Amino acid sequence: MAYRPSKRMRRTLDTTPPNITPVMNLMVVLIPLLLSSAEFVRLGVIELNLPPAAMGPDGTVFNQMPVENQKKLDLTITITDRGFFISSSMAVLSGSIYGEPTIPLTGSGTYDFVSLSSRLYDIKQRAQNQFPDAEHIILMAEPGVDYQTVVSTMDASRSIRIDNHWVGLFPDVSLSAGVF
Amino acid sequence: MAFIPSRRKRHQTGSGEVRLQLTSMMDMFTILLVFLLKTYSTHGQLINPSQDLTLPSSNVQNPPEVGLDITVSSDMVLEDGRSVIGWILVNGKPVEKTANLDEMRGYIIPNLQSVLQQYAEEGRRLEERFGTKFSGKVTIQGDKQLPYRLLIKILATCGQSNFPNMRLVVYQTEG
Repeated sequence: MAYRPSKRMRRTLDTTPPNITPVMNLMVVLIPLLLSSAEFVRLGVIELNLPPAAMGPDGTVFNQMPVENQKKLDLTITITDRGFFISSSMAVLSGSIYGEPTIPLTGSGTYDFVSLSSRLYDIKQRAQNQFPDAEHIILMAEPGVDYQTVVSTMDASRSIRIDNHWVGLFPDVSLSAGVF
Repeated sequence: MAFIPSRRKRHQTGSGEVRLQLTSMMDMFTILLVFLLKTYSTHGQLINPSQDLTLPSSNVQNPPEVGLDITVSSDMVLEDGRSVIGWILVNGKPVEKTANLDEMRGYIIPNLQSVLQQYAEEGRRLEERFGTKFSGKVTIQGDKQLPYRLLIKILATCGQSNFPNMRLVVYQTEG
């Protein structure tokens, strides 16, 4: 007696569409939730730590005078309307012409942040292990320089992009009031 | 001659039930969901950006922190011709007109200093009673047009009023 032909052979798979209604419910709830909490502008902060005031709140004077005989770099960038001056405690780095800024404005009259970064990178290479304050830079500006320029200068002096890597320059920025 | 429809075969026509095609909608929702999950940040909005000023942009990567909020807007004329007077706000409360700063001599802004010292005292009292550390943190939101001479006065006043840890709030750009 022959076997009965297998039923499995000729069974047609009737495809039932998956029930996606619960997934849809989930989406309808999740999307408004995430959309309401999404932040489209990302904020950041620049840290700027001053030493606490020399006069304590209760009137005591802290005796924290700087050590005099330590050789310090005191690198300073001065932002003027003609460009950047880079100077240290020893000398002012002069530009191509004497008396002109170290990094003058570009031809179109904007500040040359790229040159500033690469110049600071040079200085960083040389000063790295020679000075105790090779992380520190002082920023000074003319009274009329706007906030965006100051922030962009901080960016330029914080790090530089070399071969797709960020190399730190002088992340520790202080602002100086300068001579008004 | 037309065939007579077979009576033995079942025909699909006329069943009456029409199913809604949801597959393409699902695709769309899935993409949206992935995008929103990627932009989702767990720490939420710690700093409310002010309406009437444009923050400067920077490539800094530090996330915002909580602190006393100082907002400095400068005088400007809006696109529809209305002019806005710049104010210095501490936690949303106006303290001093920005225009008055230019006439002041020295670096300390008296009104701002007195308000900041109140906040500092409050912070120290809380530290004494409940042990919450007073960090002296202050976040400064300044308009990007703000000139340096005003910025430095505000920073100097914060430093002299027991808030030495300043955070300049900026828009992050992809660096």
